[in-house]
Amino acid sequence: MGAHCESGTVTGLLNHAGLEISEPLVFGIASGIFFGYFHKMKAFTFPTFIVRNKPGQMRTNIEKRIGARFQTKDFKKPADGMKALDALLERGIPVGCQVDFFYMDYVPSWERVHINVHYLTVIGKEGSCYKISDAYFPKIVSLEADSLEKGRFAGGNMSPKGFLFYPTFVPASIDYEKAILKGIKKACFYMLKIPIPFLGVKGIRQLSRKIVEWPKFARDTEHLSHEIMKINILLEDQGTGGAGFRFMYATFLQQAAGIISKPELLERSKELMEIGDGWREISLFSARIGKNRDLGPDKLRQLSEMIADRADVEEKFFKRLAQTIK
Amino acid sequence: MKEKDGYVDYPEQQMILYVEKEDGKYGPIQTGSYISANYIDDYFYKRHNLEAGLREQVIRGLISPVKYYMTLEDLSLSELSARTSIRKSRVQKHLESGHFASATVDELCRYAAVFNIPAANMLQLLLVKEDDHYESLLILENKAKRICVEQPKTDNPYVVLTKIEERIG
Repeated sequence: MGAHCESGTVTGLLNHAGLEISEPLVFGIASGIFFGYFHKMKAFTFPTFIVRNKPGQMRTNIEKRIGARFQTKDFKKPADGMKALDALLERGIPVGCQVDFFYMDYVPSWERVHINVHYLTVIGKEGSCYKISDAYFPKIVSLEADSLEKGRFAGGNMSPKGFLFYPTFVPASIDYEKAILKGIKKACFYMLKIPIPFLGVKGIRQLSRKIVEWPKFARDTEHLSHEIMKINILLEDQGTGGAGFRFMYATFLQQAAGIISKPELLERSKELMEIGDGWREISLFSARIGKNRDLGPDKLRQLSEMIADRADVEEKFFKRLAQTIK
Repeated sequence: MKEKDGYVDYPEQQMILYVEKEDGKYGPIQTGSYISANYIDDYFYKRHNLEAGLREQVIRGLISPVKYYMTLEDLSLSELSARTSIRKSRVQKHLESGHFASATVDELCRYAAVFNIPAANMLQLLLVKEDDHYESLLILENKAKRICVEQPKTDNPYVVLTKIEERIG
């Protein structure tokens, strides 16, 4: 299992190719930590937020920063995409694939949503079924070819187009200091300086301001309750390792401190773990008020203040982190 | 977060959580989903109500089956249009009961493929009698107490065989 689908898949493939690297290290070097708030976006039915960088960037960033290489390919025709996958499996190559999560039949119904940026590893084929290693599942699962094809070739926003990838080269030695510092520097830029008002710390602030407007987007109280409870899912259940990736990034900083002998990073790691605890309180609070349908203006304002507080502490934290690696 | 606070007993939905271990090191533990462990009943309650409300609107001719499935699967108009390759203005029309009849069989098949249902279900909603009321098969996820319904694909994309069997035991 892995915490997150993309970092977990990339880590698994690199490990299989002979590179021993942990998921937090992949996540941190790839500048995975992020925040983005989308108040109105045509692809979504309701305002939402993300807590990680753009899908696909964990692979491309880790590739650049540690010097590994991945072969990637997408396809116009589903038949070509499935044939290419089979050919790689026949050569014994585990293959990373991008899919729409909704068609992954092994997932419990309540988790299944249409999202085109789920990553998994296909490790074999038996009859009409593929053997799948999914970071969100403790066991190898079996998936009908038809479902995998549907998932790989779903249309819409960020359509996978049958995208597949596998490592073709992992370096014998890695300049971890350079990779880690670059990863942290970029993460600090994304969180503090990216000049877009709904991204980074500015995005957290926008969420805190806009969340009080969420009732006007809801069909009824039960819909609003569902969306408020989804805050918990987005921060905890959607493969974040807890607290919207803050716990995993804290683990990265702790591991990085040892690898590059920078003890100040241990302090930052501890601080972020505490910041994560605050995000966790938001998760639990959202779940509770959603369940109780206690969604009046007072409660939403309270939630808004809790989120605004995270924006303040994260702004200070990422400034300190940027200073630490200067 | 301390390791002892991270464990949730919910084998149906496992996940990795990063925690502070007893020796002060941070690392992963495998645990259950907190929200599913505590609030899954509420999720199904809301889902049941949503389906029943939408079904009622379909029956009364207020919305079309496209709108019914689109809402249940939480897809936006733009997203459904992009996924089916049907013009947005046309999808918009198909959401209304009055214009649903203008959808071609090919378009219904495209919608059904996105919704992951047989094309025939664009024109029918399957209900199963559970205790003293009828429940949507979609909501029951084919876990009705007394019968099992399967709709295997055939080589003909327009035809599905709906097989109903009594559960034994």
